[in-house]
Amino acid sequence: MIEWFHPGFIYLFGAFLVPLLKGKEKLKQAYILLLPALAFVNLVLMSKGVFLSEGKTWILTFMGYELTLGRIDRLSMVFAYVFVIASFCMFLYSIHIKEDWQHVAALIYIGSTLGVVFAGDLFTLFFFWEIMAWASLFIIWYGKTKSASGAGFRYIMVHSFGGVSLLAGVLIHLQNGGSLAFESFTSMWPQTLAQATNLDYVMNNCLGVYLIFLAFIINAAVPPLGAWLADAYPEASVTGAIFLTAFTTKSAIYVLIRGFPGVDILIWLGAIMALYGVVFAVLENDIRRLLAYHIISQVGYMVAGVGMGVFGTAAGEMAINGASAHAFCHILYKAVLFMGMGAVIEVTGRRKLTELGGIYKYMPITFWLYMIGAFSISGFPLFNGFISKTMVVHSSAMWDYSTIWLMLELASVGTFLHTGLKLPWGVWFARDTPVCEAREPPWNMLAAMGITAFLCTLLGVYPKILYDILPYPVHYEPFAAGHVIAMSQLLVFTFVAFWLLRGKLHGTPTITLDTDWFYRIPGKKVIKFCEGPLMVFTSTINREVMRMPDFFRALPLKTQTEMENRIDNAFHVRLPDLLNFEKIYNTIKKAKDKELSYNLIYILIAMLLLLLFVLFGMVMK
Amino acid sequence: MKITMRLMFVMLYISIFVVIMAGILAMLFLHLHPHFWWEEIPVFSAVYGFVGCVVIIIASKALGHQWLQKEEDYYEKH
Repeated sequence: MIEWFHPGFIYLFGAFLVPLLKGKEKLKQAYILLLPALAFVNLVLMSKGVFLSEGKTWILTFMGYELTLGRIDRLSMVFAYVFVIASFCMFLYSIHIKEDWQHVAALIYIGSTLGVVFAGDLFTLFFFWEIMAWASLFIIWYGKTKSASGAGFRYIMVHSFGGVSLLAGVLIHLQNGGSLAFESFTSMWPQTLAQATNLDYVMNNCLGVYLIFLAFIINAAVPPLGAWLADAYPEASVTGAIFLTAFTTKSAIYVLIRGFPGVDILIWLGAIMALYGVVFAVLENDIRRLLAYHIISQVGYMVAGVGMGVFGTAAGEMAINGASAHAFCHILYKAVLFMGMGAVIEVTGRRKLTELGGIYKYMPITFWLYMIGAFSISGFPLFNGFISKTMVVHSSAMWDYSTIWLMLELASVGTFLHTGLKLPWGVWFARDTPVCEAREPPWNMLAAMGITAFLCTLLGVYPKILYDILPYPVHYEPFAAGHVIAMSQLLVFTFVAFWLLRGKLHGTPTITLDTDWFYRIPGKKVIKFCEGPLMVFTSTINREVMRMPDFFRALPLKTQTEMENRIDNAFHVRLPDLLNFEKIYNTIKKAKDKELSYNLIYILIAMLLLLLFVLFGMVMK
Repeated sequence: MKITMRLMFVMLYISIFVVIMAGILAMLFLHLHPHFWWEEIPVFSAVYGFVGCVVIIIASKALGHQWLQKEEDYYEKH
């Protein structure tokens, strides 16, 4: 009997059968829905100990290396469960799509995410990490618009940078004496600010860990590195965007929990992030971009939770449980929200608040299902956001971080204001007469929303199902009177303020600048410079060079020979001497820290190549 | 369900009454264990929710108008 079958492989290998079922629509649809079901059965068998049980690893020997493809513990299982469950709902939502390769991209995306979740060593992690980035790129490009193509290009630029950073980090980490196993890096994280800013210390001890950290927080969309998320996600197709909301950021939370629990800078990054998303959501007019900013905001809670998750402390365990639980709940309610707005775009073809309004009477079921997602994300008691978000907030209280507590509570206010009030108000109400015709979306979309919304409510009413599978034992009573009353007051009075100020919250036909400005505007200027002045310069040189033969032909024979000799000399003797790569190489070789400088040069070359590749791509477009 | 203004306002007033009364009664009769001093104020969350919401709207709008919001073809033009 086989020892274990990787749940991710069900998606990865299963994906390639999809195009073969072309023309047999019903069969293909059943097949695609069967894959998550199989993966779910696989996970259940794993937790029952039939396949590889918790606490075990599954190792594949490859070219002399031992690659840990399966590390099964409570943490990897909780993330695997939610990824698989959510993927079923997402495929149900998108099952009517006839483009096989869009399904293939989604399957590979989910499979590789499960690969990341079960990866026990850094090479395996990197391998699946890269597949994840590229598979999701194709989902964005299936938006099939000019802006989707541009956003996809920027998306992969950022993620390639993250990928190179991860690889470089892993290599340097190994060279600095780190192990290949993907365990917590906190022992190598600098303990004091003096260490963290001492260049020598950083170079010799934690440069690798820093780069790995950078790669992780890029995927977690931590500002200022997170603009790719709100840039790219809303450009995907209606169905593609649903997949994007779940996997990249939440797998980043998983690897952060695994690698950097209790790293205190994450607490502040997370709290700032939670508010950052809220502020941008006020200004946003694109309905799915507004929701995308709320992914950033919600992931902020998880990032802060990871930062507070110090090993071996009650508050730390509460924070890690909170971050994991919130990732679990977030995937479900965010899927409902994106599905709801996707349905609106599907039936109206409009995606801006300024172009929508008054269509409630055409799609009440979609509205109410959306509202379940909205109540969940806002943390209403009896919905799933309440039972997970409050754990992170409670942990900040246990640590006595008053500012963090206040920031996270404020972010809750902002979340309800936008996803629960402004957005549904603007889309379904706001005007007395509907702006356009609409109808309920196809049955499969409604069914997917229904199932996901049911799960949100189920977890909210009966949180024990989730609490039982969290990484640490849960000592938390979500429905304590204090929590319920405080949260209810907060949300009810948010509504009061919204109602008074609703006139200010109409969408405006604008876009909002985010940190992607830095590569969109100066980047474009560089291209313009290359196309304009630089091209003029080079063509001038070209022209002058072409004139040289005529000039030489006009000279007397003797002078010609002498000139030729000189040019020969210059090119064959002097120039090589000047550009003696061996000499340059030797100089670097003699540098103080030899090993490190090799790596730095390799990274530099890799980044240069990447840059050239990107520039080339942009020019070609 | 048909949503009318009247229904909404009735529900809103009931909710306001319930949450405020619950806050006050909980302070009087339940032995809660707040972590921060301000949590002992029975209507703290209500005030924080209201003020927070107003601040978020005004601060973000100011930030947007002054700096971040641009016309839709900004990236095409620049």
